[in-house]
Amino acid sequence: MKHVLLTCLLAMQVSFAYAEDPWRLLQDAADAARELSYRGIFVYQSGHNSRSVQITHMNYGQGEYARSVVLDGSPREVLSQGSDVVIYTPRNEKVVITKRRAQNLFPALLPPSMSGLKASYEARLGGQERVGGREGQVIFLNSRDQYRYGYKFWTDREHGLILKSITFNENNEPIEQITFTQLTLMDTQNMDWFQPHVDPAKHYVMEEENVAAADVSDVQLGQLPAGFKKIDQVKRMVPGKQVPVTHLIYSDGLACVSLFIEPVNKKRQPKLGGHTLGSTNFYTHVSDGYQVVVVGEVPAATVAHMANAVKFKR
Amino acid sequence: MKEQISALMDDELSTDSLDYLFTAVKSDDNLGECWATYHLIGDVMRGNPMMKPDFKQQLMQKLEAEPAVLAPRNIRRERRPMMWSIAASAAAVMFVGWVVLQQQGPENANAAPVVEIAQNIPSEYLQAHQAVAPSSSSYFIQPAAYSENAQ
Repeated sequence: MKHVLLTCLLAMQVSFAYAEDPWRLLQDAADAARELSYRGIFVYQSGHNSRSVQITHMNYGQGEYARSVVLDGSPREVLSQGSDVVIYTPRNEKVVITKRRAQNLFPALLPPSMSGLKASYEARLGGQERVGGREGQVIFLNSRDQYRYGYKFWTDREHGLILKSITFNENNEPIEQITFTQLTLMDTQNMDWFQPHVDPAKHYVMEEENVAAADVSDVQLGQLPAGFKKIDQVKRMVPGKQVPVTHLIYSDGLACVSLFIEPVNKKRQPKLGGHTLGSTNFYTHVSDGYQVVVVGEVPAATVAHMANAVKFKR
Repeated sequence: MKEQISALMDDELSTDSLDYLFTAVKSDDNLGECWATYHLIGDVMRGNPMMKPDFKQQLMQKLEAEPAVLAPRNIRRERRPMMWSIAASAAAVMFVGWVVLQQQGPENANAAPVVEIAQNIPSEYLQAHQAVAPSSSSYFIQPAAYSENAQ
């Protein structure tokens, strides 16, 4: 009798462990990626492309510092401090430096807060699998509609970090995979590692961004796929264009979509239609004498839908 | 694009593609012209009554039947040049038709149509998108700007 009771208790405990909230685990993963100090090597795969990347991430309450070094092919480096990201890319005789706004740099793929995701995604617990020598918990993050990709995450059962991530397209085919092959926590506060080693012999050049605030009062957007909110609007000089292009940025928390709007250039007819490159989809169309270009890490249906939602006030 | 117009006239195009094709034809004069020319060719090939070999005679008869010649004395001198000019117009139409038919050969198939369907993501837009929303691929694989221009 005692044994039966014990078994029952154990079984209950196990089932309680399974009843863990997947959103809670995803929030832990998002926090761990930003708050912990760790070093590891992960492999990024998409289509025929594959790269090993070494990441060092440190946060001792002084803010985040991270350095990702691409180990295969040309030695690119991504250094980030807080929300500022700088990418060093060797190019011919130079090293080009580009600045970016920090976002979804693995393993910090998830946004700081899960609340924005719950309307568009549903989270579900999977089983437990080992990844890169660590015990992982599988969590599925599936889209509630056909307008975004789905994800399968393996989070570290001890530290919470995302160990592995697979992105699935609308047909449930894997299109992108990132996996830690090696991961350790760091306990040093030495910051010597936080500097680029791309190629000291080369000349470093800064690539300037040319953006200004945009007035979009004449642009009207119809019904957009649920969950996508405008996060920014700018006027930017696009290479090869004489006049600035209006650039609207939408996000559902995980996926980002850019809308570019410009008057149709009579001399250079736009290419119409859509195209897919890896996880990125693209769609152009012409409306009321304006060319609308939509680019984003979302299914083809989403970029087409968003391009067709753009209308102009007369 | 021209194949699509042809397919549309033959009722072989799915309705999904129509919006896009109409936008393209409306925004491009050359395609509009192409649309008209294809209908002309179609009329000729189907033996549309308007395009029969006796087109000229029919036209002349209709002109003959027209009322109101205000200056009877000049009737003969006026009509001859008119006949010639109509003959010239008919010849011009035939010539254009012939040229158009010639152009349907393989050399035209290679000519780039003016409105193109996107075959790739224009790097300038991909680059601008990645500047605000860098994806994992843009961090770790070559970014758009370099993959196309660097070689």
